[in-house]
Amino acid sequence: MIGGLLSKRETMTSDQPSSPSETEISVVESAPKRRDVLASVTVGLGCAGACALAYPFLDSLNGTRGENAAEDDTIEVDLSAIAPGQQVIVKWRGWPVFVQRRTPDMLAALRAPGLDQRLRDPASTIMQQPKDAANWHRSVVPEIGVYVGICTHLGCVPNYDPPSTADTSGHYACPCHGSQFDAAGRAFKDAPAPYNLPVPPVTMLTPNRVQIGKSKGDPGFDIANIQQI
Amino acid sequence: MRWMLLALGLLGGVSAHASTSEQRGFKVFRQVCSTCHSLDHVAYADLSGLGLTQDQIKEYAAQHQVPDGLDEDGDPKTRVARPTDLIGSPYAGEAMARMANHGSVPPDFSRRAMTQKGGVAWIVRMLQSYAEAPAGRKLPPGSYYNTAMPHGHIGMPQPLHDGQISYEDGTPATTKQMAEDLGAFLEWTARPHLAARHLVGVFVLLYLAGMYVLLLLMKRRVWSRLRQTDASRNF
Amino acid sequence: MTERPTHEAGWLEKRLPIVSVFRREYVDFPMPRNLNSLWSFGAFAMVALGLLVLSGIFLAINYTPTMADAFASIETIDRRVASGWLVRAIHMGGVSMLFATLYVHMGRSLYYGSYKTPRELIWLTGTGLLAMVMITAFAGYILPWGQMSYWGATVVINAVNAVPGIGHPLASWLLGGDGLGDVALHRFYVLHFVTAFSILGVIALHVASIHVSGSNNPTGVDPQGPDDTVPFHPYYTSKDGLGICLFLAVYAVLIFFLPNLLTLSDNYVMANPVVTPKDITPEWYFAPFYAILRAVPSRLGGLVLAAGSIAVLFAVPWLDRSPVRSARYRPLLKIALPVLFFSFFMLGMAGMHAPTAPWLWVSRLCVAYWYAYFLIMLPLLPKIEKTYPVPVALQGQN
Repeated sequence: MIGGLLSKRETMTSDQPSSPSETEISVVESAPKRRDVLASVTVGLGCAGACALAYPFLDSLNGTRGENAAEDDTIEVDLSAIAPGQQVIVKWRGWPVFVQRRTPDMLAALRAPGLDQRLRDPASTIMQQPKDAANWHRSVVPEIGVYVGICTHLGCVPNYDPPSTADTSGHYACPCHGSQFDAAGRAFKDAPAPYNLPVPPVTMLTPNRVQIGKSKGDPGFDIANIQQI
Repeated sequence: MRWMLLALGLLGGVSAHASTSEQRGFKVFRQVCSTCHSLDHVAYADLSGLGLTQDQIKEYAAQHQVPDGLDEDGDPKTRVARPTDLIGSPYAGEAMARMANHGSVPPDFSRRAMTQKGGVAWIVRMLQSYAEAPAGRKLPPGSYYNTAMPHGHIGMPQPLHDGQISYEDGTPATTKQMAEDLGAFLEWTARPHLAARHLVGVFVLLYLAGMYVLLLLMKRRVWSRLRQTDASRNF
Repeated sequence: MTERPTHEAGWLEKRLPIVSVFRREYVDFPMPRNLNSLWSFGAFAMVALGLLVLSGIFLAINYTPTMADAFASIETIDRRVASGWLVRAIHMGGVSMLFATLYVHMGRSLYYGSYKTPRELIWLTGTGLLAMVMITAFAGYILPWGQMSYWGATVVINAVNAVPGIGHPLASWLLGGDGLGDVALHRFYVLHFVTAFSILGVIALHVASIHVSGSNNPTGVDPQGPDDTVPFHPYYTSKDGLGICLFLAVYAVLIFFLPNLLTLSDNYVMANPVVTPKDITPEWYFAPFYAILRAVPSRLGGLVLAAGSIAVLFAVPWLDRSPVRSARYRPLLKIALPVLFFSFFMLGMAGMHAPTAPWLWVSRLCVAYWYAYFLIMLPLLPKIEKTYPVPVALQGQN
């Protein structure tokens, strides 16, 4: 508010009263320099005040700072109900997480010759997973795959195509822009998604029980540090 | 201006300098009051404003359970509280709180220092005003003699006793000391940003004082042109 | 083509002459040279309203208009939203500052006769603005859903309901059902916004009409020539800027050091439809009208008197028959008007005390004077009043 009024005053030195006279002109001549300093300090300080006033309003847009979902919450998933070749979607930190049980055919398809040439990052060199999942099956144990189901292109949830008689590999296709991932969440080259699907920190508690949120093989892993969710 | 920014930048951190009286008061709340009284609008994480560390807050939160929807059988289930949860009530619901307390709900502490007539001073006095009822004085069932109450009795049994808890800093936990510490804690829960409010206020007023001097000079200079142009006029 | 732009910068000028209009209306605009500091209160009101709108938008972002969450969302703003306590303090303090400013602004208008020809429309839009600010303040006060919000709303809705004829449908439109609940809260939220932004539109009319007739001045005599006026900038920008600085200082003291003055502690208890708080008092800016409401032992009578006390303001330009504008030259008005201001103050005091023996009679006396001033004194005083000689030009004769 002050800033607005003051910026008008910036032109004050050049402003002459409506009816100039001899006395008035002598005043202007006697102190032009002091006037400049005073005017610019006032205008500057006024603008600074206006900026300071904007601070609380913009700051309030941060909302309840530090109250995001980024807490060390973990969930446990019972795997016994997942049939081979099927997946369930669970929610972890508000994200959809795919938990799949792979058939031997799917595992074989992950290592099929020629597949690597069609993938963007077949060896998981880009930081999209904890260390214990940076392997050919991108999971802690080959039979169980766990991925954050958010397409790395523009954030839609990819659809899962379970293995069928025609195609036993199983893969993901994003409905929004046609991104393609294999059963281990690796992005195909001829589709828009730039990175593999993220792997959350995972610990196998028992062969039929998985914990998502903590990684026994890579305790220092923080999902916030990956390349892109 | 740099000072202004510094002050504004401190906004979040200022309340971390809360005095230890408030921290001791929190201990009184935690060990004594919170068995019956709720803090419905204060989150565990808010306690960082008292100077509690993240670990202390997590440890405190972890001792509590909060509702977490329904389990596979459709029964209500709970989980361990997180720092972002509200501290809330020790009772599962209002009816339960009533049943446990002779039909009335123990008042919530979130804004008690503001809503209680007489404020914190009265609460501190009331906590020290328990006594043996004079001979022949009949009290309603489930109430206790207290000289601070308008009718001389209160539904809450005497909560504080000398030496009931022990402070880490070695302060003797007398009833008076605990009452005053709790008062400081309640003052904080009711006005959690008071220190920041005062600090920002001082800087804003200093700024306005500076602006006032500058604007006064500007205004005088502008209007003096007019006075000189027609000094003869009675204006 | 009849006209050519005089220079290159004329492109915008030719299509949308905002620069020259701004220059004409806010830089070179001729203002009477003898305005006193009471004329700065219009600028103060603009500052207060601007801060209210701004802080209101940022509060709305974090507010939830449901019975279940309204109170908790305000607590979240006050405790956890980054700088939320400050934004809310600016909003709460702004209401008091706006009302205080408006009351002084209107008092100045009454004293110097700024409502008289040709400025009737300025007065009408201004009084309309007061009514709109009141509606906005009332609707906004319900939003935190504390005890005072709930019971204040209950009382006002029952009052509206008591108005014969239109009262019942009006209350029904407000509530959207029978009770004061989720639906009603949502409507008050929308009403708060709609009236707040409508105020901005009416202010545009208010200010535009000032720029047609020009500002009044303490003598009530229109400027006679260029010697009587000075350009708005830099003369009144510097003067208003200085005043705004003081205004903001008062505002800052209020929100940073005296926040308890701005709020009734009962509103920090969540609305409870089965318990009415012990002492129901309105916010100070409604207290005078609340006192009028309670001054007579009749529900409808109180309502008519309270609504009438504002309605009568609209008729002021036609009630005052004196050709002399400023009270400076009206010896009787110079006494009668300060008494009116004092009555308004005493009504405010009465509104914040229980309506028992001394205060009840104070409010009856004051409301009687309020009506007497507007309905009897304003039309009849000119008949007996011998006004002082009015100067011909602003600076008097030299």
